Amino acid sequence: MSHPQDLSLREQAAAIAHGDLDPRELLQATLARIEERDGELNSIVARFPDESERMLAQAPPGPLHGVPVAIKDMFSLPWRAPRDGTTHEQLPTGESGVYRRLRDSGAVIVGVTNMHFWGGGSTGAVSAYGPVGNPWSIEHCGGGSSGGSAAAVGARLVAAAVGSDGGGSVRLPAAYCGITGLKGTFGSAPPDGYTHGFSSLGAVGPMCRDAADARLFGEVLFNRVLPPADATGLRVGIVRSPFWEDLDPEVERACEDALGAAGWATEEITIAGAEHSRVATVLRLTLEALPAVQPHELEDAHPLMRALIKYEKLLPARHLVQADRIRALLRRELNQAFEGVDLVVWPTVPAPAPPIANPTVQLPSGPKPADPANVGQTGIGNLAGIPGISVPVGIHSSGLPMALQLQADWGRENTLLDAAEHIEHATQRQFVDAVPPIAAATAT
Amino acid sequence: MDALETYVRAGLELAGDEVDEVDIAVIRAADAVYGPAMRALDEADLTHVMPEPALDPSRPPQPL
Repeated sequence: MSHPQDLSLREQAAAIAHGDLDPRELLQATLARIEERDGELNSIVARFPDESERMLAQAPPGPLHGVPVAIKDMFSLPWRAPRDGTTHEQLPTGESGVYRRLRDSGAVIVGVTNMHFWGGGSTGAVSAYGPVGNPWSIEHCGGGSSGGSAAAVGARLVAAAVGSDGGGSVRLPAAYCGITGLKGTFGSAPPDGYTHGFSSLGAVGPMCRDAADARLFGEVLFNRVLPPADATGLRVGIVRSPFWEDLDPEVERACEDALGAAGWATEEITIAGAEHSRVATVLRLTLEALPAVQPHELEDAHPLMRALIKYEKLLPARHLVQADRIRALLRRELNQAFEGVDLVVWPTVPAPAPPIANPTVQLPSGPKPADPANVGQTGIGNLAGIPGISVPVGIHSSGLPMALQLQADWGRENTLLDAAEHIEHATQRQFVDAVPPIAAATAT
Repeated sequence: MDALETYVRAGLELAGDEVDEVDIAVIRAADAVYGPAMRALDEADLTHVMPEPALDPSRPPQPL
């Protein structure tokens, strides 16, 4: 057998359950791989072998018994307070709801993953622990805010990592790193012990290599069964404006090709107010988070983030009133759309991951900062509360992954996973099974 | 000093925050990116859109 972290999540769980894989050896092999491979990638900011071994020793029977996983730095653990990409403890140590679900499944937490400072960006280029690299090109962004989780899974350090998504923070880094990221319906996981538990936008989600692993991990995080079904007959809504506009041509082609391969019945639909979804998301996201920033944190905050906090303080209240009206409109429009289609579909990101040194994406309209370009593709799902998934559908000529985003009706995570598996099958799994250079370069 | 810088310096002074050149540069860049969209949002006629009472993002909106 090759290294056990080259196995999928479900293969690891099955091998342990059948006695073919010793979970203690798996834990040691995982820690060794992180030590060997994570250097410049910088996806994991804290390891705690003693606590991991203790979790394993006490692991109950469950779907992930003995399987190592990683968790974003936004959730309280009994031995570590979450820091949100900063140097400050944001909540006390303790048993967050997500920790309890992992523990009760038998999973073993082996590391806390890096993330964009305060969760406030989609690149992962700004963090108190240094930027998150991309497994496909270490000089490029791993994404954000759950960039460490995406990069760790992409580099095969772990087969599953917890992410959270307040404006695209699961789906966007998943797209950058060529993995599958599922944002659950709002409220699918308990908010206690989650640094952004105050948010009306944030949702927890599994980040894995493919949809079958995301189904298994999602069942644990959401504490419910996500039964598979045939996805052949799904009805797909294409919302051209604004979500298929100003895209890197290769991204657009890869997404169109994936839809063509899937063979679904498609129809073009419109969502009134969608043109305002980007700015409405930014307003709600940032202004909800503003009161959570403590004055002492500003003193040593990253200068960029400190200045953005000051900008947010100056925004007129009428902006938020308008944003909430747009949110109400979008929720009604999507609810109506889902009477006629099962999915709404568009590219997860308009262009592949930008360089860490200059997180700007090249679009037909010209170079654009990555954050506003990205949140424009994903924020509508957070405003609405609906689930969404990012599915790898290609490799750009730059060597970086490209991805398609699918979103469905409230509570229909299983439909998204069915659809993602359907795309994987239709594309011969060539993109979910693609191995990034960082994982191909080392033998262990 | 243009209108944006005047507004930023005065607003943050009222809020009790110090302002440096980095703040001004970042805020200017942020406003260049998001300002036009915010102004377009302000100008959108949403008087016909009823706010959602008792918003619950975990569920579809309730009928009015």
